[in-house]
Amino acid sequence: MNPADVAQAALPLPSADVSLIALFLQAHWVVKAVMLGLLACSIWVWAIAIDKMFLYSRTKRAMDRFEQAFWSGQSIEELYRALSAKPTQSMAACFVAAMREWKRSFESQARSFAGLQMRIEKVMNVSIAREIERLERRLLVLATVGSAGPFVGLFGTVWGIMSSFQSIAASKNTSLAVVAPGIAEALFATAIGLIAAIPATIFYNKFTSEVNRQAQRLEGFADEFSAILSRQIDERA
Amino acid sequence: MKVDKTLVASVALHVLVIGWGLISFSARSLEAPPPESMPVDIISADQLSKITAGIKTGEKDKPKPPVEKIADARPVDDAVGKITEKKEIVTASAPEPPPKPVEKPVEKKPDPPKPVAEDKPKDEPKPIEKKPDPPKVDPIAEALKSEDTKKLVPKPEAKAAPPQPPKPKQERTFDQSKIAALLDKRDPTRQSITGSALNSSASLGTTRGAAATLSQSELDAMRARLASLWNVQPGVEHPEELYVTVRIRLNPDRRLAAPPQVVSSGSSARYQAAAEAAVRAVLQGQPYTMLRDETYEQWKYMDIDFDPKQMFRS
Repeated sequence: MNPADVAQAALPLPSADVSLIALFLQAHWVVKAVMLGLLACSIWVWAIAIDKMFLYSRTKRAMDRFEQAFWSGQSIEELYRALSAKPTQSMAACFVAAMREWKRSFESQARSFAGLQMRIEKVMNVSIAREIERLERRLLVLATVGSAGPFVGLFGTVWGIMSSFQSIAASKNTSLAVVAPGIAEALFATAIGLIAAIPATIFYNKFTSEVNRQAQRLEGFADEFSAILSRQIDERA
Repeated sequence: MKVDKTLVASVALHVLVIGWGLISFSARSLEAPPPESMPVDIISADQLSKITAGIKTGEKDKPKPPVEKIADARPVDDAVGKITEKKEIVTASAPEPPPKPVEKPVEKKPDPPKPVAEDKPKDEPKPIEKKPDPPKVDPIAEALKSEDTKKLVPKPEAKAAPPQPPKPKQERTFDQSKIAALLDKRDPTRQSITGSALNSSASLGTTRGAAATLSQSELDAMRARLASLWNVQPGVEHPEELYVTVRIRLNPDRRLAAPPQVVSSGSSARYQAAAEAAVRAVLQGQPYTMLRDETYEQWKYMDIDFDPKQMFRS
């Protein structure tokens, strides 16, 4: 028997295991459920966040590229032909939708200019709305986790402390060694809630402002493009 | 769907973080250094009373300044002390057999300085203020001084030598201890009143100190007396019903200052009888000569519990 073992044996109370796993395993099942739920939330939040980060940077790059091409003096017809061949997104989608409407109006024999302007704007608005919807999708999850996560964690904590107090009452022993593990495991729930909620809130704020910026950029482009088309309409009418 | 990929990435991230947490988040037990032990001496009540006893003759009005160091104190406001000494040396060196008479005349001659110098070396700073009366020389103080002066001898002699023409006429008996004592007077020139000596005289004790405590023996004696007087039927059922508490107020002459008051309450007839018996016992028991004067504050007001179990324990 080496000295360390002796020392261990000499301790009156074997110090409770307070590693993360032990904290989780010792917890009441309600607290466990809360912890697992919050962990899932956290994973989901980070998945969304990573996805959105890539999406936004991709969208931004696409917009840049499109604007460069649009204002490069290249003919709009050629641009349309190049873009309409493949599925497009964001600004390009908006452009393609407007051009398609324009072409249809001109290629059909009816040559109805009346209302063409309005139709183009409608089409562009729809495509912008679709685009924004795509950008915003799942952001609400972040908002929800960000606002409800701490409460859920707190619920777990309250429940854990409640049950640990009950066990104190049952064991009729109030020494800190008895109380501490239960409270530690209960607080662990709040910790997880905060860990899930803080990034969610930060990402939500960041992504919301990003979406707003991109939507504004899209609308600006739409206005400009509809102005150009409206000039064309007036010239040809 | 892209989320699948990112979901995998997210899961991987969490696994990493949790794995790191598992490794690093190990609880360190707090180190609780054992409290420093405090030595406790057990002293008897007798010792306690000796420690805390004050002297009744101590002066209350003038608290003595506490003096911890002898040498460092700063000089008194007026430099009187310094001036005197040189002259005194001369006189001192010719002491007549009885020291007192000699010193008086000597000191009065040098008028400007009050004899402060002589008094300083003594233990108490106070006497200085009393200057006018002849300083008493107390043998112990002298002896003490002589001890001190032995160390300091070199200096005072140097000083003493030059100034002393005035009184060589007086006989000079060579008495070492006296010379030392006299020399001692001047060498402390610098010493201020406050710093001249350790203040070792007994104090009166603090006014609010409760050091004199009611001793257990006093309590036991009183209890025994009351128990002998409390005439209650022991051995009845439910003796706890007979538990009576009586509040009394005592004068310093150990007699009751007011009729005893029964503080506890009970309804049974036996309780009433016991309470009356208790009151009678308290009345009969006076004066309580076992109580000491010093602890008057402790027994001025007392609640006496008449508990059959306690009283008839033996």
